[in-house]
Amino acid sequence: MTGESISVNKIRDILLVTVPADPDDETISLLQEKILLAMERYEVKGLILDISTVEILDSFFARTIIETAQMVRLMGGRTVVAGMRAGVAITATQLGLVFGDLRTALDVDRALDMLRDAPSRR
Amino acid sequence: MERKKINQVVISGEGDILEVRKTVRNEAAALGFGPTDITRIVTAASELARNVFRFAGDGVMLCAQLSADGRIGLELVFEDQGPGIENIGQAMERGFTTGGGLGLGLPGAKRLVDQMDIVSAPGQGTRVTVVKWRGSKAA
Repeated sequence: MTGESISVNKIRDILLVTVPADPDDETISLLQEKILLAMERYEVKGLILDISTVEILDSFFARTIIETAQMVRLMGGRTVVAGMRAGVAITATQLGLVFGDLRTALDVDRALDMLRDAPSRR
Repeated sequence: MERKKINQVVISGEGDILEVRKTVRNEAAALGFGPTDITRIVTAASELARNVFRFAGDGVMLCAQLSADGRIGLELVFEDQGPGIENIGQAMERGFTTGGGLGLGLPGAKRLVDQMDIVSAPGQGTRVTVVKWRGSKAA
């Protein structure tokens, strides 16, 4: 999976990113950059990272997600990670990943609900 | 115990970490590992392959099928000729890092497999061997 295949979609006041199933490191880094540029460009409340197709969340990928959420927060937005699979949750925990106060949701629908009441950045 | 080599991946670039993941996923599935165990093995392999790339620049992963007492296992060996590890005990501590990462790579990978062995010395390269048995208790 290479860089050009990911898209950051603006839907009303939310950015929705569907993370590819098995992205390489370059794609992951590029994704972060795209998200932050979109946060700068659009008046959106926040970001939903849909990871429902992701099977492998290693420490590099996880760190990038955690950092991206923090960067989005610094820009006044909220992040919700949606759709983590059971195997990924088990593995991430055994690996020792700490997600801190990163907000999560079962799926994109519920993530949208969570962001609906978030304050506008305007 | 019988060991049969089944695959190998040369690690020389960042993109090869992805190749390692694909290969390990395919081999683990072919050996009949369940989906959660596959996720564990592939995640461990991803951490170890990234260590090879990050610290040594290049190396190789060797993939073997183990058979012992009617059990089937998958063995992954990550070898490089890089700088080696000065203090393996310290490298196994959670949160210890010299590479700017989270310091989860080695200790994290160890928790995802059944066995891990590290042979390394400064200037002598590093060999990390991990084994996951099918249907093991950590399944």
